[in-house]
Amino acid sequence: MTPVRSRRLGAPRPVAVRVGPADRPAGVGGSPVESVLEEWVVEDRWWTGRALRRRYFELVLVDGRNTVVFQDLTQQGWYSQRD
Amino acid sequence: MVVCVLLARFELLAALGDRRALLSEPAALAPEAGREQMVGEVSAPAEAFGVVRGMRLGEALSRCPELRLVPPDPEGVRTLWNEVLDRLERIGAAVESDRAGIAYFAARGLEGIHGGDLAGVLSAARRAVGPGARLGVAPSRFASYAAALQVRPRRTESTLVVPPEEVGGFLVPLPAALLRVRPELQALPEVLGRLGIRTLGEVAALPPRAVSERFGHPGLLALDLARGRDTVLEPRRPPEPVSEQLELPEAASGPQLERALEMLVARVLARPERRGRTLRGLAVSARFVAGGTWRATVTLRRASADPARIRLALVPRLAELPAPAGSIALEVAAFGPPAHDQGRLLDEEGAARRARLGEAVRQARQSAGDDAAMRILEVDPRSRVPERRAALTPFLGEGS
Repeated sequence: MTPVRSRRLGAPRPVAVRVGPADRPAGVGGSPVESVLEEWVVEDRWWTGRALRRRYFELVLVDGRNTVVFQDLTQQGWYSQRD
Repeated sequence: MVVCVLLARFELLAALGDRRALLSEPAALAPEAGREQMVGEVSAPAEAFGVVRGMRLGEALSRCPELRLVPPDPEGVRTLWNEVLDRLERIGAAVESDRAGIAYFAARGLEGIHGGDLAGVLSAARRAVGPGARLGVAPSRFASYAAALQVRPRRTESTLVVPPEEVGGFLVPLPAALLRVRPELQALPEVLGRLGIRTLGEVAALPPRAVSERFGHPGLLALDLARGRDTVLEPRRPPEPVSEQLELPEAASGPQLERALEMLVARVLARPERRGRTLRGLAVSARFVAGGTWRATVTLRRASADPARIRLALVPRLAELPAPAGSIALEVAAFGPPAHDQGRLLDEEGAARRARLGEAVRQARQSAGDDAAMRILEVDPRSRVPERRAALTPFLGEGS
């Protein structure tokens, strides 16, 4: 039997985000954003050498999907994440 | 002798109600919600377009674009047909019926109470079912059905009697498609047709060994039917109507409907006719606000009188309701043995459940690989960073 590895649930996935005014997402993966439901910032592990700084957005897209994306403020990339 | 009582287009007529004028137009019963998209019974003008019962809806509409589709009324049909069967049973007949519109009973044993001969039995049956019925009498169920089909409706002599010595010759010229009346032979006439066998006489002439080799049991049954033999009648058991209905003040759906069903389950279980017995089968039916009815039958895997268990089995069927319901009803389709659920002295369920789960995991891994069975392990459920909250880890068994 081959060993089976554990893996994290809800790991972030890179996503293409079109940024609109005030650096807020205007489109995700080709779908325009209908509204931003919530916005928050997570800062963690700042006391270590690998600080984590994320700006989260909970969005409703025009096709009705509800999705959560964040911008990695240390590396500037965009990711989607299942809460 | 077996008597066949045939009421042609019974389901269509029942669904039409007082709109019977539609029978003079191409009309067909629409497919039932959630079932195969095939038309039900069709009117004579629709038949002239080549539309037949069981035809795919798309094909029926392409053959006859003016076809009027009538919403089916399974609940109404059932009620009306049960009334017909009840009336036949009142003359002493032990009735068999698998489909609304066709009923069979054995005339033997009834002559003595209806004038001493077959004619007396037939006139009693005719009085019981009323005008419009066609009666066929023959030594077997299938031959009596074929005889009833030969009778012209609206004639005074709407009965055809085929004596035992003539049954072979009577069936010979009839189309092999008649075999479709038996559900297990639905597909056979088409195959026979491809082989150039189109009449019952041609079927009867086939050698049994070859038929058995080519078609198996259905072929032998078809051979028996074509030769005038048939299986014995299986009369229905007199029903014990236990049903409860609830009018819904407004078109209910979702949780309200579930609540209504919960009340109906409680009422049915409280009925004295149950006499402590468990329920084996139940039928949920609904009447739609916009007209038409819906009916679904549920057979419990294990007969039960436990309201929670019964509700669990019934609730998924509510999702199949295609339109808002104005009323909902629950009927006992079959009773089980008396309720005797007792608590266990030793709790063996936990061990049995663990063993079943372990076996299921082993089988899943066998067919889908080692990572087919994983478990979610909470690592830091209160973390602000979502990917730190839980992980998928190998499932090693209970307690891993």
